[in-house]
Amino acid sequence: MMNGGGGGGQKKRAPRIEPFRHRVETDPKFFDKSWRKLHDAIREIYNHNASGLSFEELYRTAYNMVLNKFAPQLYEKLTENMKEHLEDMRTCIDAAQGGLFLEELQRKWNDHNKALTMIRDILMYMDRTYIPTNKKTPVFDHGLELWRDTIVRSPTIQGRLSDTLLELIHSERTGEVINRGLMRTTTKMLMDLGLSVYQDDFERPFLEVSASFYSGESQQFIECCACGEYLKQAERRLSEESERVSQYLDVKTHEKITAVVVNEMLANHMQRLILMENSGLVNMLVEDRYEDLTRMYTLFNHVPDGLTTIRSVMASHIKDTGKSLVTDPERLKDPVDFVQRLLNMKDKYDNIINVSFSNDKSFLNALNSSFEHFINLNNRSPEFISLFVDDKLRKGVKEANEEDLETVLDKVMMLFRYLQEKDLFEKYYKQHLAKRLLSGRAASDDSERSMLVKLKTECGYQFTSKLEGMFTDLKTSEDTTQGFYASTSSELLADAPTISVQILTTGSWPTQTCNTCNLPPEIVSVSEKFRAYYLGTHNGRRLTWQTNMGHADIKATFGNGSKHELNVSTYQMCVLMLFNSSDVLTYREIEQSTAIPAADLKRCLQSLALVKGKQVLRKEPMSRDIADDDSFFVNDKFTSKLFKVKIGTVAAQKETDPEKLETRQRVEEDRKPQIEAAIVRIMKSRRVLDHNSIMMEVTKQLQPRFMPNPVVIKKRIESLIEREFLERDKTDRKMYRYLA
Amino acid sequence: MHKLGRGSRDKVQQFMAITGASEKAALQALKASDWHLEGAFDVFYSQPQIAVANTRHLEELYNRYKEPDADMIMVEGISQLCNDLQVDPQDIVMLVISWHMKASTMCEFTRQEFIGGLQSIGVDSIEKLREKLPSLRAELKDDQKFREIYNFAFAWAREKGQKSLALETAIGMWRLLFAERNWPLIDYWCQFLQVRHNKAISRDTWAQLLEFVKTIDPQLTNYDEEGAWPYLIDEFVDYLKENGLVQHRR
Repeated sequence: MMNGGGGGGQKKRAPRIEPFRHRVETDPKFFDKSWRKLHDAIREIYNHNASGLSFEELYRTAYNMVLNKFAPQLYEKLTENMKEHLEDMRTCIDAAQGGLFLEELQRKWNDHNKALTMIRDILMYMDRTYIPTNKKTPVFDHGLELWRDTIVRSPTIQGRLSDTLLELIHSERTGEVINRGLMRTTTKMLMDLGLSVYQDDFERPFLEVSASFYSGESQQFIECCACGEYLKQAERRLSEESERVSQYLDVKTHEKITAVVVNEMLANHMQRLILMENSGLVNMLVEDRYEDLTRMYTLFNHVPDGLTTIRSVMASHIKDTGKSLVTDPERLKDPVDFVQRLLNMKDKYDNIINVSFSNDKSFLNALNSSFEHFINLNNRSPEFISLFVDDKLRKGVKEANEEDLETVLDKVMMLFRYLQEKDLFEKYYKQHLAKRLLSGRAASDDSERSMLVKLKTECGYQFTSKLEGMFTDLKTSEDTTQGFYASTSSELLADAPTISVQILTTGSWPTQTCNTCNLPPEIVSVSEKFRAYYLGTHNGRRLTWQTNMGHADIKATFGNGSKHELNVSTYQMCVLMLFNSSDVLTYREIEQSTAIPAADLKRCLQSLALVKGKQVLRKEPMSRDIADDDSFFVNDKFTSKLFKVKIGTVAAQKETDPEKLETRQRVEEDRKPQIEAAIVRIMKSRRVLDHNSIMMEVTKQLQPRFMPNPVVIKKRIESLIEREFLERDKTDRKMYRYLA
Repeated sequence: MHKLGRGSRDKVQQFMAITGASEKAALQALKASDWHLEGAFDVFYSQPQIAVANTRHLEELYNRYKEPDADMIMVEGISQLCNDLQVDPQDIVMLVISWHMKASTMCEFTRQEFIGGLQSIGVDSIEKLREKLPSLRAELKDDQKFREIYNFAFAWAREKGQKSLALETAIGMWRLLFAERNWPLIDYWCQFLQVRHNKAISRDTWAQLLEFVKTIDPQLTNYDEEGAWPYLIDEFVDYLKENGLVQHRR
């Protein structure tokens, strides 16, 4: 309408053009109509009738609603609507009986998911615009929440669901078959609803129920099962639970359920199982039950302190067995057997640890310290080990090939390492080696040297330097003997017996007291010639014949015509040669002529007259003991299959008690200067040191050779104070000071 | 003396003549008074012991007891001396006197030891020595002095040329010394030694026993095995425990 102006002279108003406004009638029914469309569509969707719907139209409807600012109401209506549908669903689910419960639940859940997908798509615009800005839950998630609250957490369903699941699991545990697929989808549903739903509504009760189940089962089994059986069961259950998790539970549950089984079946009964009489760890070790042991190790690896317990039980057992072995008087009768048993025991446990305990270092260490503990409980161990080596080196490659011998010697070195009194071993080894070398009984030079190398590697140069000296002496002696024969005219030596001389350097060989012995004149003659020769080339030396260490080969013709070559000791030779001039001799006469000390002479005569197969002499009376008036004759009936007969090789034997005492005393004496040297060395470098520290340092320094006795160390310290090498500090009596 | 100037030497001579003191004491006194003779006299006389010493008397005394054909006082002379003092030769005061004398061996005194000793005690006659006896005995009550006397006793009681002290002598000395100190375990100690340890006693053991007596209580409650005691003492403790002579400590 245009306003016209009236009168004259009024202002003119510029005409304005305004945009054409459509007079849009806001349809008051717009929202309701739109919603009705969606509402019906949703119903159809839930009724599996979605195919007839037009996605485009529905989307547009929702879009318009949002555009017209009806989003909040839409959201509200949606919520209400979905709730209604869910409540319907719930009724159905509630109505389902027994086994059909889960099926129904699953069916409805699938339906709901499908519906939600479609609904979300339809309401996508709202999802993208209204929801983020107003911080509302997106449609899909919202739908899940509604499911959770209306269905899963509804009072009728929540308990029932949890109980059903747990019952099914329980059935499966007791051996029944269940529908695993259904289980999987159900737990997946819970996971989809959120980790806390899965955990609160299922996992926690599951773990609780499992704990009491396994607690019960473990009680039951432990009353009636042997350890091995029980462990098999535990292993079975563990793998069963693993499988369960992979089949129909969430992967995060694996660790937790394993912990429950381990705790209930293993940790709670650990002591009882491991220590079970007649079937526990000890029994398995004794019987080498590798499979059971492996299982025990693997299972208890999961338990805190499990392996520690196994290890310490094993260690005590080894110590106990070892202790009874080394203290058994029967076992001490045969040193070689004794050591062989130790080696066998070591092999046994090496195997067990290798096969069943995956070579666990801590177990190997426990084995070593147990061995070290009990081997030293018997103070004859050093002697016996030396005797064992002696035996093996005498037999040499005859019995075992070179490789085997090497292996055995290496294993013996393991035992050697356990010895605390290595210096005692050294003394014995020297004695035994001397006997071997001098009686020509060392079977293989290579093996002897190999053993020396092993000892040197283990203990250092000083340990073996004297031993090597012994070998050198023999070599040199060979040369000297050759030289003697080369340079002495054959006339002089015409009828003399051939001698082979071994010249032993006093320091290197074990000290022997030399006894009296009258050698046969033939021997005296040639040996004196040798002495002259030797002293001619070596000024200032002194030679003493060691008649208790030599041997001789004698050609003998017996009354029955048999001829033999007898290999005898020097003493035996002296005795036999007497019979060249007498047919019969009494003990007293023999003693007088030979001047051999009584004990040795008696032993010598016994070996010539009383040993079956070697009776070159006859004794009257035939008794074992030798009385002064007993008579000896040559045994003219002597026979032997072999031409060469070895008589009474004086093999190294374990010492008699008085000898043992003497050796020990010597060793103790040798230790005193070593202890003093250590004390002086330490004090020289530290200048001032307190009592306890000295004790510790000295022990540490001497340990590779022997364990010094603290009382002896103390006495040495006092002796050093007396001799003014050390003094006590004036103010602190526990401190010592080095006096330069 | 040779290092001193003439004037100083003269002073020393004078001083010795007037006071009868030894050269050492004279030097000491003069040095202390910065070489003033009068001051030195003060110093000298203010030391109570030296006050009355007179060298000539001491010479006479020595000659009374010395051996006729040796320059030493030996057993007879000592016996006589004890007689004159009205004291048993076994009396511990003789040990104290020997200590003052710095005697090197028991039952003998050299001239110097005798004279020097009496001087340091501060007496020059038998009567005065007799008067001093109680105070000499009292010296044993002093901890420090007792220790010195105790340690002195070892070397003194030794046989000449020996490093250790014979057991019998040691036991005798110990009984004497510890009677003064009242050590309850003395009898067990002597018993133990006679039964278990028939050898001489080393210096270290001797010295350490005193420490043991002083620090360890008779019930051995504070005895520490790691306490660096000589092994003989460790064995003694074992002996006591084995024979139930001390309460079992836990």
